[in-house]
Amino acid sequence: MEIPYVVTPRKDTGLFNSKVAIWLFLASEVMLFGGFFSAYVFLRIGADYPWPERTLPVLPGLINTFVLIGSSVTVVFAWASLKMREWRKFQIFMGITVFCALVFMVLKGIEYNVKFHHQALRLKDYSIVEGHLGYELKEGVDPHHAGELKDEDYVLNHNGERVEENVIYVEASKLTYSTRRFYKPWIEEMLTQAEHHDSKIVLAADLTAVTKEKKAPELIAKAGAPLSIELMDRIQKIHLAAAAHNSALRTEALREEWKEAKKTHKGVSDWKYASEVNIDTKALEPLLLTEIPSVGFSVDPPARLDFAPRDIKEAENSSVLRDDTVVEGKLLESPMGFHYVDAIDFQYLVMKAEEKGLDPEVAIENSWLYKNHEFVRNAWEWHRGEIDKLKADLLKNYGTDKDGNPKREPTHKELYRMGWQDFGKMADDHGNAKVSAMDQLGENFFGPNYHARGKETFHSMEVPREQVGFASKFMPAWNTYYALYFTITGLHGLHVIGGALVLAYYLFFGRKMYLSNPEWLANRVEIGGLFWHFVDLVWIFVFPIFYLM
Amino acid sequence: MADTPEAIKKSVRTYLFVGGVLFVGTILTVMVATIPWMDVGKHGFDKWDAILGLTIATIKASLVAFIFMHLNHEKKAVYWLFASGLCMVCSLAGLTALAMWDPIFDPLFYSGH
Repeated sequence: MEIPYVVTPRKDTGLFNSKVAIWLFLASEVMLFGGFFSAYVFLRIGADYPWPERTLPVLPGLINTFVLIGSSVTVVFAWASLKMREWRKFQIFMGITVFCALVFMVLKGIEYNVKFHHQALRLKDYSIVEGHLGYELKEGVDPHHAGELKDEDYVLNHNGERVEENVIYVEASKLTYSTRRFYKPWIEEMLTQAEHHDSKIVLAADLTAVTKEKKAPELIAKAGAPLSIELMDRIQKIHLAAAAHNSALRTEALREEWKEAKKTHKGVSDWKYASEVNIDTKALEPLLLTEIPSVGFSVDPPARLDFAPRDIKEAENSSVLRDDTVVEGKLLESPMGFHYVDAIDFQYLVMKAEEKGLDPEVAIENSWLYKNHEFVRNAWEWHRGEIDKLKADLLKNYGTDKDGNPKREPTHKELYRMGWQDFGKMADDHGNAKVSAMDQLGENFFGPNYHARGKETFHSMEVPREQVGFASKFMPAWNTYYALYFTITGLHGLHVIGGALVLAYYLFFGRKMYLSNPEWLANRVEIGGLFWHFVDLVWIFVFPIFYLM
Repeated sequence: MADTPEAIKKSVRTYLFVGGVLFVGTILTVMVATIPWMDVGKHGFDKWDAILGLTIATIKASLVAFIFMHLNHEKKAVYWLFASGLCMVCSLAGLTALAMWDPIFDPLFYSGH
């Protein structure tokens, strides 16, 4: 049966099927993105922290805007070519459109990748440090030695990956695993680390358990048995079987008690005597199997184990991991090691100080960063000079109002944040590393070029764990701005991929339909084009809102 | 509806022109946001910059919608469909704003407001 109105419009609406469908779909898409954009507005207006203004590099976003606008033009030309039955032109224009989609996603991928490798840290006093973490070096390797560090200079985890200098160290003497929840990759990691420190993780005491009803306890594992996934799996199996058996026994016992109770309390509502219905635990005890909720292992000799901060709730003598593993032992110095610091941001600290009625400059001078790092003091001194110059420029160019106050003043961000461009300018002023034009162009995409600018521009810094308030890469976890940025641009990116796939389908597989029913293909390409224009439309709003405001 | 080949040929010039306008609009958006003497309102980002930026974005979006998406000569049904989506979004945002800035509140509950 032929589907009506795929080419010929309906008389009542004047539209063919897919046009109604796509506009209905686009209306729902307007709802989707409109919801996110309005969420952005509310979150921004109601933010209780300084909103990140213009922190994204503009150039990739600008190029992406040009790419999408260009692709919008070429997709409509592709449709026009089909309507005029020019197949070759259709192929060329559609090919350019799909290529533009590819370029867009590549640029987006670069942007995301740079962000995901960039570290942010909010200290306990609300000052913010941004930069790149260093990697753990093997003992005895000098991080500041003359030559380039080689692969073998770095500590590797059990996956063969370098370890970022943001770990919590514990001199572990005892590990108690939850039989139900232990996480196998972490056990493997702990075993690798212990081996690296010539330490063994062994069962602390003999593990015995009753595994059959009314039988004597059997030895599951002897004290001194080495920790292994196989051993933990075996213990888990025994524990789960025992727990299931015991719970079935208790359920059955309770069921029997209820039967008895109902017989003796005929005609009485059951909730009235429910408190009297209890199982006889003493009678059940001989029938129960041994449950093993946790298993303790000794680390012999105590070894320095490291854990990712998000995986451990550290405490002085006993820390707990997210899988309920208890790590007993001394908490060691666990600083965060920034290899390069490329931004110091006091905006949040100043906001908190102003809320309390304190002077911002005094608050900054009392911050941990200012007190403990000479390069921060030097940078801030330079920055104050720049602010004075800016104030003088603004006064000169815009004058004062009738009350004698300057018409324009530096923004909160200009006053209290030093970004990588500021550090670069400071280095230039001091006659340090010069960066080539090509490197500067690359910086628009990949962030500051640390190798070209060097340690004179971006310093390394260690932050003690006690000062760490919240640390995260530049990803949704960092703040609501990035949460929304990644959500909206990610969703938009998925739409670009989806749209590009549909358009590519018409490009590569449309020939057959073009030969049999060209008007139908033209309609389908028009619909695909409408979706593509909508994707462009969303980006027209995304770009100024996230990149320029 | 630009259906006939002749009409389509005419539209091609319009599409090229609008494409050019969109490019220029994008450059203008960036200039307005980055060049100091083009900064409206107070120094730095303030509500006037937001209004200006969003106005330019709305004009660009309207050009895409009306010219590229043929909304300038579409059928009534399409207008109803798209407008209903827009109305829904405005209601979503508007009602949320109303909830956040509700003039009627219980002073005992909202202590500190």
